[in-house]
Amino acid sequence: MPAYMRTMLKIENLTATVGEEDEAKTIINGLDLEVPAGEVHAIMGPNGAGKSTLSYVLTGRDGYEVTGGSATLNGEDILGMDPEERAAKGLFLSFQYPVEIPGVPVMTFVRAAMNSQRKARGEDEISAPDFIKKSRELGQKLKLDADMLKRPLNVGFSGGEKKRLEIYQMMMLEPKFLILDETDSGLDIDALKTVSDGVNAMRSPDRGMLVITHYQRLLDHIQPDKVHVLAKGRIIATGGPELAHRLEKEGYDGVLGEVA
Amino acid sequence: MTTALRDLISNPNTAELELIARYGMQPEDPRRERLFEAFAQTGLPTRRMEAWKWTDFKAALSALDRPASQSASDPLASDDALCFRFSPDGFEYPKDLPEGIHLFVKPEPQALGSAEDVPLGALAAALAGSKTRPGTLMIEVTAADLPRLHFAFGGEGEASFARVTIVVRPGAELSVSESYLGGAGFLSSVFEYSLQGDAKLNRTVYQRGADQETMAATALVQLEGASEYTQTSLAFGAKLARLETRLVHKEAGAKAIMNAAYLVGKGLHADITTHVRHGAPSCITRQMTKGAVLDGGTGVFQGKFHVPRTAGQYTDADMQHKALLLEEGAVVFAKPELEIYADDVECAHGNTCGALDANQLFYMRQRGIPERAARALLTEAFIAEAVETAGDLKDILRDEASNWLAES
Repeated sequence: MPAYMRTMLKIENLTATVGEEDEAKTIINGLDLEVPAGEVHAIMGPNGAGKSTLSYVLTGRDGYEVTGGSATLNGEDILGMDPEERAAKGLFLSFQYPVEIPGVPVMTFVRAAMNSQRKARGEDEISAPDFIKKSRELGQKLKLDADMLKRPLNVGFSGGEKKRLEIYQMMMLEPKFLILDETDSGLDIDALKTVSDGVNAMRSPDRGMLVITHYQRLLDHIQPDKVHVLAKGRIIATGGPELAHRLEKEGYDGVLGEVA
Repeated sequence: MTTALRDLISNPNTAELELIARYGMQPEDPRRERLFEAFAQTGLPTRRMEAWKWTDFKAALSALDRPASQSASDPLASDDALCFRFSPDGFEYPKDLPEGIHLFVKPEPQALGSAEDVPLGALAAALAGSKTRPGTLMIEVTAADLPRLHFAFGGEGEASFARVTIVVRPGAELSVSESYLGGAGFLSSVFEYSLQGDAKLNRTVYQRGADQETMAATALVQLEGASEYTQTSLAFGAKLARLETRLVHKEAGAKAIMNAAYLVGKGLHADITTHVRHGAPSCITRQMTKGAVLDGGTGVFQGKFHVPRTAGQYTDADMQHKALLLEEGAVVFAKPELEIYADDVECAHGNTCGALDANQLFYMRQRGIPERAARALLTEAFIAEAVETAGDLKDILRDEASNWLAES
């Protein structure tokens, strides 16, 4: 089977809760989803549908408990792995709100991440000259100057710069599967284009992507192969890019009313 | 031991009796008598004394015993530095000194100002002298561009005492480092630094110790003229380890920077105590202390700025203490104090204590950095600011912190 027809991310009947035991709330409730290699899938949904929760459950954040179902990446169960193991398997989450890491320069951080992943996969560390060369090339592409890459990660950067740094990390780490959580939030039109160009450059027959977004706007820049509507913790509708346009026109209530 | 000697300290424990015995064996000297009396007023400090309430030497030091532990290696020793090595029964010093450094090795003790405020410093000054060790080591500095003076305290034994006095004359500049490497059951040192005119001094203190060792390093600093004093300490703790600095701004325009970091593991205790008196107008003090403590470790920060009504006018002083509790069971005590009587001053202080940020840890792990490494990287970055001021030694201090984090 060619790589691009292979299922990369496969989620079956997933349920997950958020919060402490006695106050745990079910946010993901019987979710099924398959994303093959080479495809970009968008997940859209109203506030509170469980979009960000899904990204945290898949990446293994504390406080999110899987209560049923499964999720595999390239056939491997990822739900039992630590977050760093999932990252080494090639799973990358671009955060809606990238976190400030005071005192750790961007390049130091990314090099630590890259070498940790390589070590976990039994590969050699990247040499300093190779790393710097790659970093410089990407920096130019993403309009990140060398001084910015020496500053502590995300500290004092604008919203747009933080998102560009997410794309920089993504391109440096070359993950197999990307989850973009509300990547368009806080971006002006120029920044949106830079970020989208970066994401599009990452499209490849052996890479899958899940783009989580509120608005259709981002999908003008990053054309999805499929669009899923997430509501009440489940995928309730799936279609082509035209579904996103319908959502934009009719609103979630219109589309949800129809399928409910 | 005569009854008179034994009565010097009320209800002495074995360690105090042994200290009295050591004093009794020293040649009679009125200066030593005054120094030992200053110590004997309190004996080994206890938690009943406000300044020692979290660092109780009497409880921790029951007898002067040789510990099973050995002294650590010295990251600050270097061929470029002039090394003075103290051990419980020995002393080595460089015989060839450059012009601009004048050394006086005196067998007898010398008087110590404000000895009553520093009981363990007074004890060190009283007991420093022996057949092999000087009662007072005096150094006068009259030039700039000098090699660093390095004082290393290592070697195994029951107890180690030292008294060093350094005078930096107007226009002179000096870097000094002190390494406390453990190995002695009890160590007490007292350093006096006196800066005159526009003298500059950069002092770095490095402390390592084990859970059977107690130590106190006391520094008394006087700043005259527009002198500049910079101090950077890195402490890893011992059964009890106290780095205490008492600094006085004596003339207008003096500037002091006093930074410290403590990294404390299980069974260890590190205490950073400072007292700054703004005894002249328009002086500046900047103080940043950062700590990180593991389960079973204890960190202590006590800082005080004293700004008198007239003399302290136009003081500009800032004191910050920030601590990370790296695990459940870590303990930090902090007491930042501003005692201000002058009415036209800028004085600020801040004090925070908390855990590593869960969002930061998840973000780093999502990028593939294992939890342990993520914690170490965040903690190292947190500590780094406090050791930035150590001049040429800052990378060594940062590496030491980094190694500790990697090993713990």
